[in-house]
Amino acid sequence: MNKFQRQLLIMLCFAVAVVITFSRLQSQSRNIKPQSGQPNRIVSLSPNLTEILFELGLDEKIIAVSDDSDYPPQAAKKNKVGTFWQPNTEAIIACRPDLVVAESFEQQKAVTESLKKLGYEVLSLKIEKIEELFTAIEKIGNATGRRQQADELIKNIKAQLDSLRSKLGSSDKVKVLWVIQAEPLRAAGRSTFINELIELAGGENVISDTIQQYPPISTEELLASGVEVIIQSAMGKGRIENEQKAAEAFWSKWGNLPAVKNRRIYVIEPDTILRLGPRLPQGAEIIARCIAANQVNQ
Amino acid sequence: MSNVLTKQKLTKRVVICLAILAAVMCLCCLIGTQKISLEKVFAGPGKTAGENVDYEILVSVRLPRVVLAALVGAALACSGVVLQAILRNPLADPYILGISSGAGLGVIIAIISGVSWTFWGGSPIAIAAFAGAIITVWLVWYIGHLTGKSQVTNLLLAGVVVNAFFAAVIMFLTSIAKSEQVYSTIFWLMGNITEKNPPVLWVSAICILAGIISLFSVCYRLNALSFGEQEAQGLGIDINKTKILAFGWAAFITAVAVSLSGLIGFVGLIIPHAVRLVLGPDHRQLLPVSAIFGSIFLVAADTLARIIVSPAQLPVGIITAIAGGPFFLVLLAGYSRKVSWLR
Repeated sequence: MNKFQRQLLIMLCFAVAVVITFSRLQSQSRNIKPQSGQPNRIVSLSPNLTEILFELGLDEKIIAVSDDSDYPPQAAKKNKVGTFWQPNTEAIIACRPDLVVAESFEQQKAVTESLKKLGYEVLSLKIEKIEELFTAIEKIGNATGRRQQADELIKNIKAQLDSLRSKLGSSDKVKVLWVIQAEPLRAAGRSTFINELIELAGGENVISDTIQQYPPISTEELLASGVEVIIQSAMGKGRIENEQKAAEAFWSKWGNLPAVKNRRIYVIEPDTILRLGPRLPQGAEIIARCIAANQVNQ
Repeated sequence: MSNVLTKQKLTKRVVICLAILAAVMCLCCLIGTQKISLEKVFAGPGKTAGENVDYEILVSVRLPRVVLAALVGAALACSGVVLQAILRNPLADPYILGISSGAGLGVIIAIISGVSWTFWGGSPIAIAAFAGAIITVWLVWYIGHLTGKSQVTNLLLAGVVVNAFFAAVIMFLTSIAKSEQVYSTIFWLMGNITEKNPPVLWVSAICILAGIISLFSVCYRLNALSFGEQEAQGLGIDINKTKILAFGWAAFITAVAVSLSGLIGFVGLIIPHAVRLVLGPDHRQLLPVSAIFGSIFLVAADTLARIIVSPAQLPVGIITAIAGGPFFLVLLAGYSRKVSWLR
């Protein structure tokens, strides 16, 4: 054991020495690109960031986007640099970007870190809440020299959300269950963006605080909840009507639930709504129509 | 006997294998999503980012990745050889004693707690994985030894139970994590090779090569050990010392490999068996040749993972299992009539 320990110790000392030398060399060896104010070759690594960039009128300057950027239609025609979950560093570099806009979770962070080391400009953004969307738009506006457009976009989104709120008034909160997965039953919990959306649209999540983000729901809890509206995100790319029928058939076994009794089960297309981007007000309106149909239509 | 392993023969075979490895690594550096021209690469890096894209792609993206795959492959295959020998169990792989779940637990804790400091370019995830792996191995070794000095079965059982327990904790933590965190963890668990900074690569290379060299020095004793502990003792070998040395280094290089690339399955299990089937069970040859073929296999698998659905990428763990499984079965069917596991 002694010999092993000694070997290990020597090795560790050596390794530390090497690391120190190399980290010194690394930091000196490369000049960081001087920032020229207005980037002309932008790469976006996530669909909602792509939407924001297009809203800011940067169409011409976007060189490449993530594979799943499908809105607006022009986005689908841009070069692709890998998926949201696994961006391709090589493809990004080949675009010679002068600004890479990315999200800040683990997979993208690994890629953006190595891009930064090479001297590329990276803007990492965390967008998990509605408030963070506004911060992100502002930051993108600053980084791309579209400050004014960004402010307008934020104002615009806020105005639309406000007008939706005023239509809804302060009537009683409708109890909503947002189903993520039917079998086994899982729903959106309180700490999600979906919860914010439900409250925005005049509803109240029937799920109380849970330690999980998307907690599994027992039949007992479901029956006791008195849920008035069930919203289910469509799973496949198939026709919504088919999924709607399947959902109604699935829920019919609990005929005593107010939502089932009053036929208030809605299957919605998640792409517009679950993306925290400029189309948020449209998404919120769709949800509001499900939750409080008569008020919105007035 | 004509097929006795002489020193010349061993050296010759190792050199040939190294040449194959070098060729495969060069080839894989040249293949990728983007077409690059060597001429431009030799022009050297530009003064600013984006000036010579070909150079950046080859030197900063592909080369580190290929080197990393080679290191991880070598470490896993080597560790597989050693664990199969000291546990005398053909199903042993580098993860059998709980390293996988220990490292996985470290990673998910790091991801959920959202720590973002870096340690000289090493990400918190890598460090958490390494710490988790080492602590788990120590725990398994300790429990295994509480129950009896030379009981291999106890060690295996301790490993399996610790694995199961930590796997349950991992499942609990994933059920309360946010969806991005869950995805991050799943990708890590599938095994994923990405670009690493040069300092990280250098340190890992030193650790892994040191481990392989140390393990090579106990190969002769491993040969004796695979006949059984009493027989080995009869040959005058200090079993306990050998086991601790072999086990310690095997665990160490596996932990380094896991912290770099997540859980890449299959390499540590099938490469040692494949080499054993083809070249025989002598550990002096089995260990270095397995290390080199582990490298070749993982470098090739990672290149496939990079290009098969480009510009998207696949986790390399998927490729190792899909490509490695059938390949190994063919080898098994072809050779098993000639050679048995321990001959």
